[in-house]
Amino acid sequence: MMDSGLLLVATLAFPLAMVVACLHPAFYARILTWLPLAAVPGLLAALFERGDSIVIAPAPLRLTLALDEVGAMLLGGASLLWGAAGFYASISMCGRPGAGRFAIWWLLTLTGSLGVFIVADMTSFYLVFSLASLAAYGLVSFEGTARAQRAGFVYMALALLGEALILLGFVMLVTAAPGGNPLIRDAVAMLPDSPLESPAVLLLILGFGLKMGLLPLHVWMPLAHPVAPVPASAVLSGVIVKAGVIGLIRFLPLEVPSPDWGMALVGLGLITAFYGVLVGLTQSHAKTILAYSTVSQMGVVAAIIGGGMTTGAPHTAVLAAFYALHHLLVKGALFLGVGIAGATGRRHYVSFVLIPMALLSLSLAGLPFTSGALAKLATKPLFGDGVSALLASLSAAGSTMLMLHFLGRLQLLANDDHEGIPQRPLMLVWAVVAGASFIVPWALFANVSGYALADAIQPDALWAASWPILLGATLTLITTRFISRMPTVPEGDIIVVLDKLAPLVMRIGSGIDRTDEVLRRWPVASIGLLSLAIAFGTVLQFGR
Amino acid sequence: MIGTATVYGLCASGLVAIGLYGLVLHPTPLRKVIAFNLLGSGTFVLFGVAARRGGAAGFLADPVPQAMVITGIVVAFASTALAVALLLRLQETGASSIETTPPEQQDNGAS
Amino acid sequence: MMPAGYATSEGGALLVIAVMLPIVGMIAIFALGLRRAERIAFIILPGGLFIALAIAAEVARTGAAVTYVLGGWQPPLGIALQADGLSATLMVLTALILCAVGLFARGTFSTPPDMSEARRPMVFWTLMLGLWSALNTVFLGQDLFNLFVALELLTFSAVPLVCLDGRRETVQAALRYLLFALIGSVFYLLGAALLYGAYGTLDMAGLRLQAHYNPATSVALGLMIVGLMAKAALFPLHLWLPPAHAGAPAAASAVLSALVVKAPFFLILRLWFDVAPQPGNQLAAQMLAWLGIFSIVFCSIIALRQVRLKLMIAYSTVAQIGYLFLVFPLVMASDAPSAWQSIGWTGGVLQLVSHALAKASMFLAAGLIAEALGHDRIDNLNGAVTAVPISVAAFGLAGLSLMGLPPSGGFVAKLMLLTAATETANWWIVAAILVGGILAASYVFRVLGRAMAAPKIGFKTLAHIPLYRELVVLGLAISAVVLGFVPLQPFAFLGIGRVGLP
Repeated sequence: MMDSGLLLVATLAFPLAMVVACLHPAFYARILTWLPLAAVPGLLAALFERGDSIVIAPAPLRLTLALDEVGAMLLGGASLLWGAAGFYASISMCGRPGAGRFAIWWLLTLTGSLGVFIVADMTSFYLVFSLASLAAYGLVSFEGTARAQRAGFVYMALALLGEALILLGFVMLVTAAPGGNPLIRDAVAMLPDSPLESPAVLLLILGFGLKMGLLPLHVWMPLAHPVAPVPASAVLSGVIVKAGVIGLIRFLPLEVPSPDWGMALVGLGLITAFYGVLVGLTQSHAKTILAYSTVSQMGVVAAIIGGGMTTGAPHTAVLAAFYALHHLLVKGALFLGVGIAGATGRRHYVSFVLIPMALLSLSLAGLPFTSGALAKLATKPLFGDGVSALLASLSAAGSTMLMLHFLGRLQLLANDDHEGIPQRPLMLVWAVVAGASFIVPWALFANVSGYALADAIQPDALWAASWPILLGATLTLITTRFISRMPTVPEGDIIVVLDKLAPLVMRIGSGIDRTDEVLRRWPVASIGLLSLAIAFGTVLQFGR
Repeated sequence: MIGTATVYGLCASGLVAIGLYGLVLHPTPLRKVIAFNLLGSGTFVLFGVAARRGGAAGFLADPVPQAMVITGIVVAFASTALAVALLLRLQETGASSIETTPPEQQDNGAS
Repeated sequence: MMPAGYATSEGGALLVIAVMLPIVGMIAIFALGLRRAERIAFIILPGGLFIALAIAAEVARTGAAVTYVLGGWQPPLGIALQADGLSATLMVLTALILCAVGLFARGTFSTPPDMSEARRPMVFWTLMLGLWSALNTVFLGQDLFNLFVALELLTFSAVPLVCLDGRRETVQAALRYLLFALIGSVFYLLGAALLYGAYGTLDMAGLRLQAHYNPATSVALGLMIVGLMAKAALFPLHLWLPPAHAGAPAAASAVLSALVVKAPFFLILRLWFDVAPQPGNQLAAQMLAWLGIFSIVFCSIIALRQVRLKLMIAYSTVAQIGYLFLVFPLVMASDAPSAWQSIGWTGGVLQLVSHALAKASMFLAAGLIAEALGHDRIDNLNGAVTAVPISVAAFGLAGLSLMGLPPSGGFVAKLMLLTAATETANWWIVAAILVGGILAASYVFRVLGRAMAAPKIGFKTLAHIPLYRELVVLGLAISAVVLGFVPLQPFAFLGIGRVGLP
């Protein structure tokens, strides 16, 4: 074991140091080659530093890093994906104009997104959360096309809204806890006694839900995730959304049973899960379908957290993190796979792309023996036996339909060159992520869920995992022709309604401009000064 | 029966009122400057009233407000000088009002 | 008649030096030849910084205010200078910013070698020194009339800076600024006359002991505070600020936006907490906060709609001034043992300080961008990052503070204000702070997005910017960011030497 906590510091300090080193032109020119290394300290920390913590600055600043089981799982998975995607980017982005700029945004986003898993105090959490949120803008809008700019704009607007909601939620949390910058767990422990509990919980759910893409604040996700370059899409959809998950896990009082909030979250999550599937089915771009799948899956995670919250189940955090880890790796591999599919010709398509992609896709729906089956099995108890459990299973059927639709769309991307095969290193790194998405959950399963590995291959479990997939497949067969005739819902669905409001907003804006012009006329302003003086004097005299 | 202080007070408020009227409503900058001087004079008279009140309290006359008035006059003189200098400069550039053109229409303003 | 006895404390002479040193510099410029203006200013600048630091150290060491009684005369005949924790903080801030701006302006305002004297450099350096003396007097003065003179000195130094380049718009802006500020001054003076008539003193300590609610006091305070608002350009009295701050040369804009508008706010703060009858008037405090709220929301939206960078920054100043006015109800309603120990007080002061640093940096960065590109139209800023990368970085860092994102002084300040507003259930203030943050982020990102975009074909840099000037700008921005590491707690130094309120 290393000296306590140093690797945690390095997790954040190393990528930041790389950013600073970019001031040197020689390093800046070769930054892409170094990109895969940025996440190495994070991976090492996840392996060797579990349970450690380090106080970077003592009270009253109290900047603290700590790695618990939940953080370690997500940190490990995230670092792995960041490293792999970094490697992918170092090859695929090579020689593209603006690659240096891309690398800097990449490193900043990486720092923030790994940071959220290891910080233990509130201010640092807000810091790294904002860093991840805002720096990701650079990745979203990197391509510079009109589509990317619009996505970047919507992303930024909603990210800022999320920041504001979370900040207010934090302030309400902190007012319950004494001292300048409390540790997250101390502040959360005080929450149930606070008079501001309800608004604080609501704001936190809204703020983190926005990051996870919960309805109706999901609109940025189908716009932002597909427009970025492939490796950036992979980390955006794989890792960045988990900042919302870890936020809910860390900041909601999960150990205290709170049926109202729990059921609300379950409801919101399940609605999002089905909504993501439904809208996703009408999409035609493979990456957009994946983004809607992320919306849907994050709905499931929210429902898991909500289910645990309802009863105050003890392992909710770990189980939700386990499900998130499964989604993180699988979704990362799927996005990288889209890049691979684009480079592969018809000849090798089935063996190189279709089979692995099909396995990965159906893993999201809980195909037996995949990580998805394990994740669903592990989190099942949280839903109880009622309607929500059934709906959760049905959402897996929905996922099956969505992912089959995705596979159908994916083959349209195949390379025109019949013999084309992707570059070998790209294949390799893809294989690593895909492999990890199968192996890592198996390795952790027994530890996390309390089940034995054998439980996962019991006939009961297999059937529970299989029937939604069979149902989904059957439904797909029945509805194929119907779906292909459905009108396409625009990417970002309800954002289109907001677009209609744009002229109104512009009118209000120019109205404010005109008001300002009037207010700045000399007579208006000086009469304003006089009346203000009279009003203020009057209030001072009589307004007590 | 109206005391002297009241008369002075009324004078002061009259001057202030005229000054304010001119400063607010006269469009030409020079008139605004003159109106400012009236406004200032009103204030100084008010200080005179305050000094007189101090005198009523047993002093012969309170010296502090008088010192303030002298300082105030110097300040008002300085501001008038500055305003007139700016006015002259403005005249040189060919403008006669202080209502600026909307900033969007000003262009190539470098630094 | 003479309730508050002042006594010159150890180190009190420092206060006089702080006020007089810049004046000595001004006189030296006239005496030794206008050509040497810059060289003389560069002797005075570090000296003044040293004095400000010495005063702050003295305040911190003794834990009490440093006082100097001029000529040994007690008020109401004499006047006193006093530096408490707050004044000392602001004096150090002033000195730092003026030194930075001085470094930045070095070279741009020096007399060309082929001329015996030039108007611009002489005016610039002389007025900078005058402004400094005026600011120090405002921070130290205890007598309301003395403060009036200081305010006037400040205005007279600031106005010509606006029209240094003599273009028509800037002269118009300067004249508007001067006339509107003069109305404000007269209001202030009227109020002072009324207070003197009512209480027979203008010494703050004396007034604090006697002040009670009566019509004269209310009218006087109403006139004075609103007059000062006009000078601080609080919405809806901001007519003069955008053209004046946007038209001035960058170095002057930085000082005007960072420091000059803060002086009248400082006086409002003192009038409210040191002079007005206690307990304070909640409704009036709410009124001040509401004007602040309007300032924040309204002017941020207008900033977002500006075409030119410097106008955008100027409107952002009006919006940020709004945050300062939120302090009044927050401090008054706090249940901290004293107003100075409340989180709202520290938050307000921190907002003032971090805005000063960030805004100075932002104006200077905008100046360099305009020098390099030859214009400052936001939609045409493409390629700025290749021309002046450090300035764009500084703009971004300073923007961090304006947006209230961590780590930055602005973040901590807004967090404290937000906490205070939540604790006292002032939900409108909460909403304004959050909305203001989102709007600020929008206008900052709008500029950054443009500035970081790839340059257009045929892009060329007009002027080469020396590295040290960019580094000065970056230094200011970094200090605004470093302020983000102050602890989230009431800061005891700001309460030193402040008397009174329960």
